[in-house]
Amino acid sequence: MRRTIVILAALGYFGASLLLVAGFGYLWHRTDPAPEQPIAFPHTVHAGNLRMPCTFCHVFAELSRHAGAPPVQKCMDCHRAIATDREEIRKLTRHYEEKRPIEWKRVYAVPDFIYFSHKRHLRAGLECSTCHGDVAGMKRVRRVSNLVMGWCVSCHRARKAPLDCPTCHK
Amino acid sequence: MNRRSFLRFLGWISGSTVMTACGKRDSRPKLTSYLLPPEEGIVPGEARYLPTTCTECPAGCGGLAKLREGRPVKLEGIPGHPVSDGGLCVRGQSSLYRLYHPERLRSPMVRNGGKHQRMTWEKAFSLAAEALKESRERGHRNFFLSGRTTGTLSALIDTFCGRLGILRLPEFEVYAHSAVKEANGLLFGKRDVPHYRIEEADFLLTVGADILETHVTPVAYTRKISRAKSRGDFLWFHVEPHFSLTGANADRRFAVAPGGERYLLAFLLREVVEKRASKSRPPREFMDVFPPSPAEEVSRSAGIPVEALREIGDRLVAAKRPLVIVGGVSAAHQGGLEAAVSAALMQWATGAIPERVDFARSENYRSVGTFRDVEELSARMGRGEAGVVFLLRTNPVFSLPQRFAFRENLKKAKLSVGMGDFLDETLREADLVLPLSHSLESWGDAEPRRGVVSLLQPMLPPLHDTLSDGDALLGLLRKASGEGPAGSYKNHLFEAWGKRLGDSGRSKLLEQGYVEATPPGKAIPPNWKKAASVLKDTGPAGEVAKPVLVLASSLRTFDGRSRSLPLLSEIPDPLTTITYGPWISVTPDMAKRSGLEDGDEVTIASSDWKVVLPVKVQPYLPEGVFVVHRDALESPPVRMQARTGEPVEYIEGVSFAKTGRQAALPILSGSFSQQGRGIIPDPAHLDESRRHKRWTLYPEHEHKDYRWGMAIDLDLCNGCSACVAACHVENNVPAAGKADHLKGREMSWLRIEPFYEKGEVEFLPMLCQHCDNAPCETVCPVFAAYHNPEGLNVQVYARCVGTRYCSNNCPYKVRRFNWRQHGWPEPQRLMLNPDVNAREVGVMEKCTFCIQRIRAAKDKAKDESRKVRDGEFTTACAQSCPTGALVFGNLLDAESRVSRLARSGRAYRVFESIGTEPSIHYLRGKHPGRKT
Amino acid sequence: MTDPEKYARADEDILKAMEKPGRAYLLGLGVTASLAVGGGLLWAYQIRNGLGVAGYTHPVNWAVYITNFVFWVGIAHSGTLISAVLYLFHARYRTSFNRPAEAMTVFALMVAGLFPLIHLGRSWVFYYLIPYPTERQLWVNFRSPLIWDVFAVGTYFTVSAVFFYVGMIPDLAIARRRREGIRKTIYAVLSLGWRGTGRQWRHYNMLYLFLASFATPLVASVHSVVSWDFAMSLLPGWHTTIFAPYFVAGAIFSGTAMVITLVVPMRKTFNLYRYITDDHFESIAKILLLTSLIVSYAYVIEFGLAWYSGNIFETELFRYRALGHYKVFFWIMVACNSIIPLTLFAMRLRRNIPYLLIVSLLVNVGMWLERFVIIVSSLSRDYDPYAWNALIYRPTYVEVGITLGAFGMFFMLYLLFVKTLPLLSISEIKEHL
Repeated sequence: MRRTIVILAALGYFGASLLLVAGFGYLWHRTDPAPEQPIAFPHTVHAGNLRMPCTFCHVFAELSRHAGAPPVQKCMDCHRAIATDREEIRKLTRHYEEKRPIEWKRVYAVPDFIYFSHKRHLRAGLECSTCHGDVAGMKRVRRVSNLVMGWCVSCHRARKAPLDCPTCHK
Repeated sequence: MNRRSFLRFLGWISGSTVMTACGKRDSRPKLTSYLLPPEEGIVPGEARYLPTTCTECPAGCGGLAKLREGRPVKLEGIPGHPVSDGGLCVRGQSSLYRLYHPERLRSPMVRNGGKHQRMTWEKAFSLAAEALKESRERGHRNFFLSGRTTGTLSALIDTFCGRLGILRLPEFEVYAHSAVKEANGLLFGKRDVPHYRIEEADFLLTVGADILETHVTPVAYTRKISRAKSRGDFLWFHVEPHFSLTGANADRRFAVAPGGERYLLAFLLREVVEKRASKSRPPREFMDVFPPSPAEEVSRSAGIPVEALREIGDRLVAAKRPLVIVGGVSAAHQGGLEAAVSAALMQWATGAIPERVDFARSENYRSVGTFRDVEELSARMGRGEAGVVFLLRTNPVFSLPQRFAFRENLKKAKLSVGMGDFLDETLREADLVLPLSHSLESWGDAEPRRGVVSLLQPMLPPLHDTLSDGDALLGLLRKASGEGPAGSYKNHLFEAWGKRLGDSGRSKLLEQGYVEATPPGKAIPPNWKKAASVLKDTGPAGEVAKPVLVLASSLRTFDGRSRSLPLLSEIPDPLTTITYGPWISVTPDMAKRSGLEDGDEVTIASSDWKVVLPVKVQPYLPEGVFVVHRDALESPPVRMQARTGEPVEYIEGVSFAKTGRQAALPILSGSFSQQGRGIIPDPAHLDESRRHKRWTLYPEHEHKDYRWGMAIDLDLCNGCSACVAACHVENNVPAAGKADHLKGREMSWLRIEPFYEKGEVEFLPMLCQHCDNAPCETVCPVFAAYHNPEGLNVQVYARCVGTRYCSNNCPYKVRRFNWRQHGWPEPQRLMLNPDVNAREVGVMEKCTFCIQRIRAAKDKAKDESRKVRDGEFTTACAQSCPTGALVFGNLLDAESRVSRLARSGRAYRVFESIGTEPSIHYLRGKHPGRKT
Repeated sequence: MTDPEKYARADEDILKAMEKPGRAYLLGLGVTASLAVGGGLLWAYQIRNGLGVAGYTHPVNWAVYITNFVFWVGIAHSGTLISAVLYLFHARYRTSFNRPAEAMTVFALMVAGLFPLIHLGRSWVFYYLIPYPTERQLWVNFRSPLIWDVFAVGTYFTVSAVFFYVGMIPDLAIARRRREGIRKTIYAVLSLGWRGTGRQWRHYNMLYLFLASFATPLVASVHSVVSWDFAMSLLPGWHTTIFAPYFVAGAIFSGTAMVITLVVPMRKTFNLYRYITDDHFESIAKILLLTSLIVSYAYVIEFGLAWYSGNIFETELFRYRALGHYKVFFWIMVACNSIIPLTLFAMRLRRNIPYLLIVSLLVNVGMWLERFVIIVSSLSRDYDPYAWNALIYRPTYVEVGITLGAFGMFFMLYLLFVKTLPLLSISEIKEHL
């Protein structure tokens, strides 16, 4: 009897460690802190309160493989006049006047050898929040998906999208 | 161990395992926003195509530049362009390497002592202006020498020289076609090379003119030959003293003694005028003076057997629309003028002018001078007459013989200003070096032949501190004259175009990259007196002392100007498959007699000159002839034809001695013989192989919408290797370098295999066959090689572990392994195609049928909710092919070009008996309908 | 001498080998260890700079490393033959070679298993070859012979290691009994509390029989699978059905030779003449001769098939193999593998131990060259003549160093084994005393 308990305890210990490590690996990205951006742009205000559609700023998401960040002029279209007293807006205006594009810190990055087309995914009917999460509720954008190959493959499998390797591998 | 220490141990292990997961996370990639939104029509991540003109050689083919992220990553031909009609040769494809070459000149420099010092353009202009002023005051002469320049730039140079008191010399080109020009000038009053409409001919006789390699406008000629072949009644004979790629592709090739072409052509002229039924006959005065050419005598002088003479003569007489073209090595000898005159008279006598020999659309070589002109320049500089000498995009120090003493005499000029893009032999001697922008960075135009204006426009801002040719001249003009046209060269051009073409013409030029005016041609009777004066003594002159060293033009480097492009050394010479390093071709008999093997070094010497080169045995090379490409020799001791100034492109009576050493010569081919394996089968065997049914255990592949395949017409392929260069640039295939080539580690995905058999050379483009039952797919342990639902054999680089079993199992050996990490020295990294992964070390790669293009085409089609249409896109190799031999498309579509070709009676597949079921069908045997 | 005395003397004689090492031993250990470490450093250099540092010339993509792989896997087979197959045949003479042969198997497999990693272009992603459920939802290609290798060699190593260890348990108990201090503890742990009761002996024999039966088919199957690395391709000279029996026979041939190479000096050094007699060697020599004849037969058949088929790809390759760039290696191979072993028909020579040692060394050389010739010549001359290798493949110092390192590692492990574990199967020898 005692032997059984000891054996079970040992197995339990190792099993628990294994689960811990696996869990770490799988959910590590959720602990990924949202990076601090050169300008503290709050999606909560723009996509949340003002309910601006994603493609209003991220114009190329529907037209190109890259969604990209909006050009500085797009921001200035409104912020030429709106909230010009805020420090962040002043930072933005300085960028525009000094002709310096803003260097955002990437939150979502696929490796160089992967071809990912935003256009195809949007035209397939996917919502931006499917992969990017509830951005409208994020003061600072953080990564909600781990972007590993299996994550892409499982969605492709579920939605009967092409599973052919060169679909994504350049 | 007790419990406590065990638990401690366990804790250590668990803790350290978890700790390994820690790491820095501040090193994130950046996402840079635009400042302003991109212009209308520009979508980031999508390619943009803008037309321009290739300037790698004087032909002036139109090139469409593919721009990604604001820089050109690929050049292709412009379909419908009056010169190239969609093709682009191996040099044109490689010219992108010139733009991004790490050794390009980056800023103006002045020579101080032995070294070059950088300076600003302002200072450079001041320096030159000062020198011009001084030279004017001292009464020196100033000279301007450039390579062939056409269009608005030529007019600007005239203005430049006129305003500043500079003598503009005739342009310098090694291949100036002086003999042909002189002949045409004498006979028809047109000192130019006419436009040859080969596509209209039913019998083409080329004597020496290497129309597939460098002669005037090779891409255009190649396209014309394909078009002529498709008509079905085309026959092409080629006569040459050596063995060239052009000769290898003609229907029949005849060897002639070096210098003997004049006798052959005189004989043929007599045959034509005597036997052809024609309204145009030469006048009596001419026929009385024209010496007879009895066949036996001509056979002896020309070194051609009598039967061959009769055959060529008969064909020429019987053909309805014959065309005779002489040029290249066959016009570049002491009897060159006579040869050219005979050929021109034959053109007239066969009614070729103006249908097939069009002077109205001539190739714009009028302002190109001869070697005599440069000799004179050199002499004048030597006498101390020169003040400021301008050298624009020309390399006389490399190309001229030593006895012209150009290098020494250039030093005597008060100030030599070299304008170019590399520190080549000439610019190294220049006092002031002005770096010029690449044609892809400049505004400009070219007139490759009369009536055609071809656009040059910048694809990106200059990478270095360079100016375009026009801007440099304008800046200098403004500085030196104190006044002058304001504005940039771009404004100047737009104005000039507006004046010449009108507003609509200018818009058309900017949109499609070319405009063509069609001046009418007319028949011109020859000047018989002058003809007689040239031809009256075609008596047997002294024979050329054998052995002869023939200086051939190089397909890969033209006259040597493209030597600096690494890709052109990486791609093998099609006849010998040699990549890096010069060589000398010798006949098999000579090699056997002297006990020579490929790579043995020999010393070749004439009276005052010698060179040491490794040997390559060249089958089918006529006896007594050695061949060297011109780019292998610096300042070859060529003599000059007195009357025309044409250089004699061979050196007579050379001596030949082994040095006993072996040079490392990278020869890529393992065997020039098919070894009886039917890789290019005898057409008689074709039916047999098609009847052979195979039993297989492999299940049939299911293809839904597309099944990609290719058809390659071996009758059209001439081995020019443009496809190879296109593939390299499109797919980021690295240039491996000489050391790797010596170990057989070339990276090229597509190769041209020359097979020598029964007096003929056949070229087989070999690339991944995308077999249905691919032997590579079953043996890859990790599924890096697998078959996709569209019939492609896909290589997934991220998955490859590098066991190399796939390459072992490939019977075609088309898979290339990355034995080391290939680098892309700055700024070549900008040239990489962002749609294609640049592979890392340890990964296998191979032809993908340009899957990035397939993906892009399907993407576009899906946007429009349709399927991809036949001809909507094609692979890089098929697109660049000037002959149109490669055809790519969807085999599931029964009406597509590739399907129809694959079903034709000429189609076969290589190594069909192994059962690999390739998707590439080769077409063997003469083009359909060719009766001869 | 009474039985117990004989047994006690057997224990002592055999365990005496585990005493303090002499100078010669330490020198040998030093040399082999340095070779092994040197090989390891060269491997690191190769990973850093890519496989280009080796002498590969396209299309010779496989050369020295795969030769080494097949060579070492082949050697392992003989050990299993002697310990498992001969056990099933109740061959009494096996008992004196039993333990060294099994040790040779295990160590040869350890060395062999490194070579697939060494020859990978991207060794750092070797785990792509292991069939486990990945997040990428990708499995390995079970149709590829290289994956069969993973299973075959993996299984073989596991079974051989277990067999080796289990068979050693009673001997480890003897060592436990006769040693003191820390060594006693180690042997105690390793012998798993063996008490030598009747019940335990019964279980031991059942397990031993089971493992021997399990290992026996592996002798034929594993090297057949390894030979299919070649036979499943389409290259002339590789794609032939004779490869499986040919390679298995060759494996036993080279392994037997390696056993002789190991045991002859071992017998002399540790004075084991009482337990390893000339009769034993004669039996092993007969196995050597038999397998040499099978291998010679295979050579003849290969050439015969090529000639009879008239297939120009095959005929050209075999002409090249015998008369082409590598003909020196080919003829050395024939001399060492086919001609010299024929002398073993003479009984006097079979019982001449120094002669056997020389023959075994020559056979090892010949068998290494056989794999080399097969691999390199077939790759150099296959279907498309353009791709024929105009250059002769020459190994670079990296490949030579790693090969020597492999030999170093093997002999180092063997030397360590000799000093730490009972080097003969004491219990089984005692059975037949």
